[in-house]
Amino acid sequence: MSSVRTQRSSSTGSDVEVEVQSDVSVITERPWNVIVWNDPVTPMTVVVVVFRRIFGYSNNKCTELMLTVHHEGRANVWSGQRERAESYCVKLQVAGLQATVERDA
Amino acid sequence: MAGRLFTRRRDGRVEVRLNDAGREIIKVVFVHVLAAERDPNHEWHLSLNAPINPSSDDDDPLSSLARQNEIASNAELSFMTLNEQYLTDVEAWAWLSTIQIALRSTAVVHGLLSDEKLESCAPELMDDIRTMQQFLFELASCF
Repeated sequence: MSSVRTQRSSSTGSDVEVEVQSDVSVITERPWNVIVWNDPVTPMTVVVVVFRRIFGYSNNKCTELMLTVHHEGRANVWSGQRERAESYCVKLQVAGLQATVERDA
Repeated sequence: MAGRLFTRRRDGRVEVRLNDAGREIIKVVFVHVLAAERDPNHEWHLSLNAPINPSSDDDDPLSSLARQNEIASNAELSFMTLNEQYLTDVEAWAWLSTIQIALRSTAVVHGLLSDEKLESCAPELMDDIRTMQQFLFELASCF
Protein backbone atom coordinates (compact mmCIF):
# COMPACT_ATOMS: atom_id res chain seq x y z
CA MET A 1 0.00 0.00 0.00
CA SER A 2 1.37 3.45 -0.80
CA SER A 3 0.24 7.01 -0.24
CA VAL A 4 1.48 10.43 -1.28
CA ARG A 5 2.25 12.94 1.48
CA THR A 6 3.27 16.58 1.24
CA GLN A 7 6.36 17.59 3.26
CA ARG A 8 8.24 20.86 3.58
CA SER A 9 11.84 20.54 2.43
CA SER A 10 14.34 21.72 5.06
CA SER A 11 16.92 22.84 2.49
CA THR A 12 14.71 24.76 0.06
CA GLY A 13 11.78 25.57 2.35
CA SER A 14 9.36 24.53 -0.41
CA ASP A 15 6.72 21.86 -0.30
CA VAL A 16 7.64 18.56 -1.93
CA GLU A 17 5.57 15.48 -2.45
CA VAL A 18 7.03 12.21 -1.17
CA GLU A 19 5.67 8.74 -1.65
CA VAL A 20 5.38 6.80 1.57
CA GLN A 21 5.34 3.02 1.45
CA SER A 22 3.57 1.10 4.16
CA ASP A 23 2.25 -2.40 4.68
CA VAL A 24 -1.05 -2.18 6.46
CA SER A 25 -3.62 -4.92 6.30
CA VAL A 26 -6.89 -5.08 8.14
CA ILE A 27 -7.72 -8.44 9.66
CA THR A 28 -11.41 -8.89 10.26
CA GLU A 29 -12.19 -11.67 12.70
CA ARG A 30 -15.04 -13.93 11.80
CA PRO A 31 -17.82 -13.41 14.35
CA TRP A 32 -19.12 -16.04 16.72
CA ASN A 33 -22.76 -17.03 16.39
CA VAL A 34 -25.13 -18.05 19.18
CA ILE A 35 -27.27 -20.90 17.91
CA VAL A 36 -30.54 -22.01 19.52
CA TRP A 37 -31.70 -25.53 18.67
CA ASN A 38 -35.23 -26.85 18.36
CA ASP A 39 -36.71 -29.41 20.71
CA PRO A 40 -40.18 -30.93 20.72
CA VAL A 41 -41.21 -29.99 24.28
CA THR A 42 -40.37 -26.31 24.88
CA PRO A 43 -43.48 -24.12 24.47
CA MET A 44 -43.13 -21.45 21.76
CA THR A 45 -44.19 -18.69 24.15
CA VAL A 46 -41.33 -19.59 26.49
CA VAL A 47 -38.79 -19.26 23.67
CA VAL A 48 -40.16 -15.81 22.76
CA VAL A 49 -40.12 -14.65 26.39
CA VAL A 50 -36.54 -15.88 26.91
CA PHE A 51 -35.27 -14.13 23.76
CA ARG A 52 -36.97 -10.88 24.78
CA ARG A 53 -35.55 -10.98 28.30
CA ILE A 54 -32.00 -11.95 27.38
CA PHE A 55 -31.46 -9.94 24.18
CA GLY A 56 -34.07 -7.19 24.60
CA TYR A 57 -35.29 -7.75 21.04
CA SER A 58 -38.74 -6.63 19.92
CA ASN A 59 -41.64 -9.04 20.17
CA ASN A 60 -41.75 -9.37 16.37
CA LYS A 61 -38.05 -10.23 16.11
CA CYS A 62 -38.32 -12.76 18.95
CA THR A 63 -41.32 -14.42 17.29
CA GLU A 64 -39.49 -14.50 13.95
CA LEU A 65 -36.43 -16.14 15.55
CA MET A 66 -38.60 -18.62 17.44
CA LEU A 67 -40.34 -19.63 14.18
CA THR A 68 -36.94 -20.08 12.49
CA VAL A 69 -35.91 -22.42 15.32
CA HIS A 70 -39.21 -24.28 15.00
CA HIS A 71 -39.17 -24.70 11.21
CA GLU A 72 -35.46 -24.99 10.46
CA GLY A 73 -34.32 -26.75 13.61
CA ARG A 74 -31.95 -23.95 14.60
CA ALA A 75 -31.53 -20.20 14.44
CA ASN A 76 -28.63 -17.81 14.74
CA VAL A 77 -29.89 -15.45 17.44
CA TRP A 78 -26.80 -13.26 17.94
CA SER A 79 -23.38 -12.68 16.33
CA GLY A 80 -20.29 -10.92 17.60
CA GLN A 81 -17.37 -11.27 19.98
CA ARG A 82 -16.63 -14.71 21.37
CA GLU A 83 -16.84 -13.72 25.04
CA ARG A 84 -20.25 -12.10 24.64
CA ALA A 85 -21.47 -15.01 22.52
CA GLU A 86 -20.50 -17.45 25.29
CA SER A 87 -22.12 -15.24 27.90
CA TYR A 88 -25.40 -15.19 25.94
CA CYS A 89 -25.12 -18.94 25.40
CA VAL A 90 -24.80 -19.48 29.15
CA LYS A 91 -27.83 -17.26 29.81
CA LEU A 92 -29.91 -19.21 27.28
CA GLN A 93 -28.84 -22.54 28.78
CA VAL A 94 -29.63 -21.29 32.28
CA ALA A 95 -33.11 -20.43 30.99
CA GLY A 96 -33.44 -24.01 29.78
CA LEU A 97 -32.97 -23.60 26.02
CA GLN A 98 -30.51 -25.69 24.04
CA ALA A 99 -27.87 -23.26 22.82
CA THR A 100 -24.32 -23.45 21.49
CA VAL A 101 -21.76 -21.08 20.00
CA GLU A 102 -20.02 -21.58 16.68
CA ARG A 103 -17.70 -19.54 14.52
CA ASP A 104 -19.24 -17.91 11.47
CA ALA A 105 -18.47 -20.00 8.37
CA MET B 1 -53.30 -33.45 34.68
CA ALA B 2 -53.91 -32.98 38.40
CA GLY B 3 -51.73 -29.93 38.91
CA ARG B 4 -53.34 -26.56 38.35
CA LEU B 5 -51.53 -23.23 38.19
CA PHE B 6 -53.01 -19.79 37.74
CA THR B 7 -50.85 -16.68 37.49
CA ARG B 8 -51.43 -12.98 37.00
CA ARG B 9 -49.55 -9.72 37.42
CA ARG B 10 -50.72 -7.83 40.46
CA ASP B 11 -49.18 -4.73 42.07
CA GLY B 12 -45.89 -5.34 40.25
CA ARG B 13 -45.65 -8.89 41.47
CA VAL B 14 -46.67 -12.24 40.05
CA GLU B 15 -49.53 -13.89 41.87
CA VAL B 16 -49.25 -17.67 41.80
CA ARG B 17 -52.20 -19.84 42.69
CA LEU B 18 -51.42 -23.52 42.84
CA ASN B 19 -53.53 -26.41 44.05
CA ASP B 20 -51.91 -28.95 46.39
CA ALA B 21 -51.19 -31.42 43.61
CA GLY B 22 -49.62 -28.70 41.50
CA ARG B 23 -47.44 -27.51 44.37
CA GLU B 24 -46.27 -31.07 44.97
CA ILE B 25 -45.32 -31.46 41.29
CA ILE B 26 -43.43 -28.16 41.33
CA LYS B 27 -41.64 -29.17 44.53
CA VAL B 28 -40.43 -32.42 42.96
CA VAL B 29 -39.26 -30.53 39.88
CA PHE B 30 -37.25 -27.99 41.90
CA VAL B 31 -35.67 -30.69 44.07
CA HIS B 32 -34.67 -32.71 41.01
CA VAL B 33 -32.95 -29.74 39.33
CA LEU B 34 -31.09 -28.90 42.54
CA ALA B 35 -29.98 -32.50 42.99
CA ALA B 36 -29.01 -32.89 39.33
CA GLU B 37 -26.79 -29.82 39.43
CA ARG B 38 -24.90 -31.14 42.46
CA ASP B 39 -24.82 -34.87 41.79
CA PRO B 40 -22.81 -35.99 38.74
CA ASN B 41 -24.60 -39.36 38.85
CA HIS B 42 -28.08 -37.86 38.66
CA GLU B 43 -29.82 -38.83 35.39
CA TRP B 44 -30.43 -35.15 34.53
CA HIS B 45 -26.84 -34.06 35.22
CA LEU B 46 -25.58 -34.52 31.65
CA SER B 47 -28.49 -32.68 30.10
CA LEU B 48 -27.79 -29.74 32.42
CA ASN B 49 -24.20 -29.62 31.27
CA ALA B 50 -24.43 -29.62 27.50
CA PRO B 51 -21.35 -28.26 25.71
CA ILE B 52 -21.22 -24.56 24.94
CA ASN B 53 -19.01 -24.97 21.90
CA PRO B 54 -19.36 -28.52 20.54
CA SER B 55 -16.47 -28.12 18.10
CA SER B 56 -14.10 -27.45 20.99
CA ASP B 57 -12.70 -30.38 22.94
CA ASP B 58 -13.08 -28.66 26.26
CA ASP B 59 -15.43 -25.80 26.96
CA ASP B 60 -14.44 -22.65 28.72
CA PRO B 61 -14.47 -23.76 32.40
CA LEU B 62 -15.48 -20.27 33.56
CA SER B 63 -18.55 -20.27 31.31
CA SER B 64 -19.51 -23.73 32.52
CA LEU B 65 -19.07 -22.67 36.14
CA ALA B 66 -21.18 -19.55 35.60
CA ARG B 67 -23.96 -21.69 34.14
CA GLN B 68 -23.85 -24.19 37.01
CA ASN B 69 -23.98 -21.42 39.60
CA GLU B 70 -26.91 -19.70 37.90
CA ILE B 71 -28.90 -22.89 37.44
CA ALA B 72 -28.35 -23.85 41.09
CA SER B 73 -29.20 -20.32 42.26
CA ASN B 74 -32.45 -20.31 40.29
CA ALA B 75 -33.42 -23.73 41.64
CA GLU B 76 -32.59 -22.68 45.23
CA LEU B 77 -34.58 -19.46 44.91
CA SER B 78 -37.50 -21.38 43.41
CA PHE B 79 -37.40 -23.93 46.21
CA MET B 80 -37.24 -21.22 48.88
CA THR B 81 -40.32 -19.49 47.43
CA LEU B 82 -42.28 -22.67 46.84
CA ASN B 83 -45.06 -21.74 49.27
CA GLU B 84 -45.29 -18.06 48.34
CA GLN B 85 -48.43 -16.76 46.69
CA TYR B 86 -46.80 -13.56 45.43
CA LEU B 87 -43.46 -13.70 43.61
CA THR B 88 -41.16 -10.89 42.57
CA ASP B 89 -40.12 -10.66 38.92
CA VAL B 90 -36.79 -12.37 39.67
CA GLU B 91 -38.46 -15.17 41.63
CA ALA B 92 -41.02 -15.80 38.89
CA TRP B 93 -38.22 -15.89 36.32
CA ALA B 94 -36.35 -18.42 38.48
CA TRP B 95 -39.50 -20.58 38.56
CA LEU B 96 -39.86 -20.39 34.77
CA SER B 97 -36.18 -21.20 34.14
CA THR B 98 -36.14 -24.10 36.61
CA ILE B 99 -39.33 -25.69 35.26
CA GLN B 100 -38.07 -25.26 31.69
CA ILE B 101 -34.78 -26.97 32.61
CA ALA B 102 -36.73 -29.82 34.21
CA LEU B 103 -38.94 -30.14 31.13
CA ARG B 104 -36.03 -30.33 28.72
CA SER B 105 -34.04 -32.67 30.98
CA THR B 106 -37.06 -34.99 31.14
CA ALA B 107 -37.24 -35.01 27.34
CA VAL B 108 -33.50 -35.61 26.90
CA VAL B 109 -33.34 -38.42 29.47
CA HIS B 110 -36.25 -40.24 27.79
CA GLY B 111 -34.89 -39.65 24.29
CA LEU B 112 -37.85 -37.48 23.28
CA LEU B 113 -35.94 -35.56 20.64
CA SER B 114 -38.59 -35.48 17.92
CA ASP B 115 -42.34 -34.88 17.67
CA GLU B 116 -42.87 -38.55 16.77
CA LYS B 117 -40.99 -39.79 19.84
CA LEU B 118 -42.92 -37.37 22.03
CA GLU B 119 -46.30 -38.51 20.72
CA SER B 120 -45.45 -42.17 21.32
CA CYS B 121 -44.17 -41.83 24.89
CA ALA B 122 -45.84 -43.45 27.92
CA PRO B 123 -49.08 -41.75 29.09
CA GLU B 124 -47.71 -41.00 32.59
CA LEU B 125 -44.64 -39.37 31.11
CA MET B 126 -46.78 -37.39 28.68
CA ASP B 127 -48.91 -36.24 31.62
CA ASP B 128 -45.81 -34.96 33.46
CA ILE B 129 -44.66 -33.13 30.33
CA ARG B 130 -48.08 -31.57 29.66
CA THR B 131 -48.29 -30.41 33.29
CA MET B 132 -44.90 -28.70 33.13
CA GLN B 133 -45.82 -27.14 29.76
CA GLN B 134 -49.05 -25.81 31.20
CA PHE B 135 -47.18 -24.25 34.15
CA LEU B 136 -44.72 -22.69 31.70
CA PHE B 137 -47.54 -21.23 29.56
CA GLU B 138 -48.97 -19.60 32.66
CA LEU B 139 -45.66 -18.21 33.89
CA ALA B 140 -44.61 -17.00 30.41
CA SER B 141 -47.80 -14.96 30.17
CA CYS B 142 -46.50 -12.79 33.03
CA PHE B 143 -43.39 -11.62 31.17
